[in-house]
Amino acid sequence: MTCADLERILCDTIDGDGDAEFQAHLRSCPDCSELVGELNLIVNESGKLAEADEPPARVWVSIANQLRAEGIIHDPEAKPVAPVPAQPRRWRLWWLAPVAAAILAAGSYQLTHQKNSAPTPQVAQQAPSQPQAAKPAVNPQANQPARVAQEVAPSAPRSAPAEKSPAQAAEHPPEPAPARNTESTEEVAQNQNAPREISPPASAEDEQFLGEVSSRAPSMRTTYENQLRAVNAEILETQAYIKRNPGDMDARQHLMEVYQQKAMLYQLALDHIQ
Amino acid sequence: MTDPKKSTTEADAIERAKQGDESAFEVLYHLHKRRVYSLCLRMVSNPSQAEDLAQEAFLQLFRKIGTFRGESAFSTWLHRMTVNVVLMQLRKKGLPVVSLEETLETEDEAPRKEFGAEDLKLSGSIDRMQLKRAIDKLPPGYRAVFVLHDVEGFEHNEIAEIAGCSIGNSKSQLHKARLKLRDYLKSMRAEKAKTG
Repeated sequence: MTCADLERILCDTIDGDGDAEFQAHLRSCPDCSELVGELNLIVNESGKLAEADEPPARVWVSIANQLRAEGIIHDPEAKPVAPVPAQPRRWRLWWLAPVAAAILAAGSYQLTHQKNSAPTPQVAQQAPSQPQAAKPAVNPQANQPARVAQEVAPSAPRSAPAEKSPAQAAEHPPEPAPARNTESTEEVAQNQNAPREISPPASAEDEQFLGEVSSRAPSMRTTYENQLRAVNAEILETQAYIKRNPGDMDARQHLMEVYQQKAMLYQLALDHIQ
Repeated sequence: MTDPKKSTTEADAIERAKQGDESAFEVLYHLHKRRVYSLCLRMVSNPSQAEDLAQEAFLQLFRKIGTFRGESAFSTWLHRMTVNVVLMQLRKKGLPVVSLEETLETEDEAPRKEFGAEDLKLSGSIDRMQLKRAIDKLPPGYRAVFVLHDVEGFEHNEIAEIAGCSIGNSKSQLHKARLKLRDYLKSMRAEKAKTG
């Protein structure tokens, strides 16, 4: 075995001891022996790093509070009380479930059909001057829900324009571009210096949803409103990112997951207020 | 890696969590909090950000716990979510994220042979702060695989599922990450020797 042979198989052998030929070469070659020894040292020391990593107690407290606010945690002593609505009220809520399903379908459509979209000139022009996205879900900052739900809910009471994303992107331009996209460094610098705030316009479905929550479970309105703002802002932000980086499959997967979150939010409300 | 006793406790907690039991969520959190937080911390090197990312990863998981069917290990599912949350955050910050499917075949990737002085050799022990700084310098894609394998102890088949890459790629990225770390550590040591 030569040094080149050892380096070639080192990738596969590295977590084991290697065969007799491997060991024999290490005994006869000081350079390869040094290389393998140093790599083993790095591995051994790295394994000890995680021992001291412990999140502070406030992380769990924040998680628990958020789960309680979203109604995911049920207090066994005080079950969420929502009187079983009479038939006419249940009938009026029929649209929530298909809207939730439509949100998911639209997410899938966007992921599979918008692979080659690029930022429009209108978007590029507005990008330097308009405020940008705030931090998503953990600290929701967006002011209003987005129009996204309009284009994804064919069964909803109001009809929606066929194509919304470029207009949405023009109204609410993307955050500063990652280094590897095609925007100029000047635009990126301008974006980074501009105040960041997303204010997606309210969608008819989101407004109707919040209206129903207000009338049946008013104490939950603020919670659902905040959650909708956060998830809509995240959808806008991720869509904008995908527009600039259409080949990024991880981002598309993330967008799908955010759509799922929005659909689950509708479903949660349906479970609570019916 | 799988402890049968832990699996029973975890499986029970998952089922109770699906019913909205707060104590069940807390059990799941405490079972996995260290690895999730450690992964976030190694990736972003900022404790405050790592806390936020860990929180977000757990929240995303708990919101979807009703959909967990057990096709993959719960920890794999959780860590996949964590890696996605972290990488998404890094992308939003404009940091270049090397795809875990890319294999960079440049001269820079080749292992080097050092014939330098004794003080350049990584013998004996490695300064922990230097190691952390070297890990911070790794490109995010390499860093993710390295942290998952060498820091957190995941196997390559688990990393492949978490990171959405092949087992071969996981091994290749890990090997390159270790070689880069070796180079960074030697540079740091040489710099230290120069400045005295």
